[in-house]
Amino acid sequence: MSSAAPLAVRRDPQHGYLGGVCAGFAARVGIDPLLIRIGFIAAVALGGVAIPLYAIAWVLIPSDSPERPAFQRLLTRQDTWLVAAGMGCLTAAGLLLLRTWDVWFVNDRFLWPLVIAATGGALIWRQSQTAPERVAQRARLPRQTVNRATAGAALVVGGALIFLYANDALAPARDVVVPVLVILVAVAIILAPWWIRLVRGLADERAARIRSQERAEVAAHLHDSVLQTLALVQKRADDPREVAALARRQERELRAWLNNSRPSGEETLASALEAAAAEVEGDHHVPIEVVTVGDRPLDDRSAALVAAAREALVNASKFAGPEPISLYVEATEERVEVFVRDRGPGFDVEEVPTDRRGVRDSIVGRMERHGGHATVHSTPGYGTEVELVIE
Amino acid sequence: MRRGRVDRTLVVAGLATIALGALLLLDRLGSIDLRFDYLAPAVLAAIGIVLISAGLS
Repeated sequence: MSSAAPLAVRRDPQHGYLGGVCAGFAARVGIDPLLIRIGFIAAVALGGVAIPLYAIAWVLIPSDSPERPAFQRLLTRQDTWLVAAGMGCLTAAGLLLLRTWDVWFVNDRFLWPLVIAATGGALIWRQSQTAPERVAQRARLPRQTVNRATAGAALVVGGALIFLYANDALAPARDVVVPVLVILVAVAIILAPWWIRLVRGLADERAARIRSQERAEVAAHLHDSVLQTLALVQKRADDPREVAALARRQERELRAWLNNSRPSGEETLASALEAAAAEVEGDHHVPIEVVTVGDRPLDDRSAALVAAAREALVNASKFAGPEPISLYVEATEERVEVFVRDRGPGFDVEEVPTDRRGVRDSIVGRMERHGGHATVHSTPGYGTEVELVIE
Repeated sequence: MRRGRVDRTLVVAGLATIALGALLLLDRLGSIDLRFDYLAPAVLAAIGIVLISAGLS
């Protein structure tokens, strides 16, 4: 019987802060590098023997990849932590100089808490400078941003507490704070299992909701594209050239959708809506009058609105007869309104069968999934108006 | 001819090193009395400036 040779320890500079020693050991043992780092910092605090051991390990343990010098890697990191560390160094320098000049309020009890607080303040400040553009791009703040802001706040509060402790200002509060802390820890230990179960339940529910929305999105897309094309193929079965053209276009559209790419020339909402109107007009031979006021770049929400408008145009083309269909678009940076009107026979919205997915899923459901809303106004004999809004 | 992009961090690090070197030279020449109480803040300030420059690049 042969046993596999144990894995050799290799430093991992790509994922390390200095030489990648902790990251290398963590990879070898199969645990989070943070745990090894916490152990390393604890060993440094206990006696400082960890520092020469780290240096020896750095020299003796080979790296698992080509590496640049630590100093160069440090200086080429575009990191909020560098700004915070730099601000801490500058504050320490200024205060040390003031202490040398015997400025009255600068002493050791004041100096180091202020350095820590300045470092934390720089972290928070830096995050507040970088956050707005990220917020504009994403619905939620990135986890790193939140972590850094939290670390900055912890440093500021820590600095203030050290200052108060060093000046004996915490002594009266100690008798109250310690019992409260003990009770809080006890309550936290008791409630932790319920809290963990609640968090897991919420995560499962969120995952299920996301799966359901993705499924609805795929169903709506298949309805709008493949099913509509198949219906057209049946209708035009006597014209092989047109059937072939429809199949080719559907294939191109499906491939673009699978590759998550948009057709060229559809970078704005207005151009995408005009393209969709031209496509529906070509397929169903019903004239569509397009009026656009304003425009905006085509993002995911606007693309969903275009898909919903296209479905409304297809419905109008199929059921409203030869009269022209009106597509009116009013777009600003904050709000987009689209109206699709026809002069057809109209219908009773309440009486649409549940198995008809066009209005319910492809228009109303799609708009709601993307944070907008759709309203269908129709009265039998007086035509139909579909109103689509995103804000 | 294609010119290389200027690395601001390296320029700042170079200037900080020159400033520290100038201080040590003046001390050596006897123009100033550079004690540890002054040298430590100067080194810390140089490191701080380089770190901030690197972080903001």
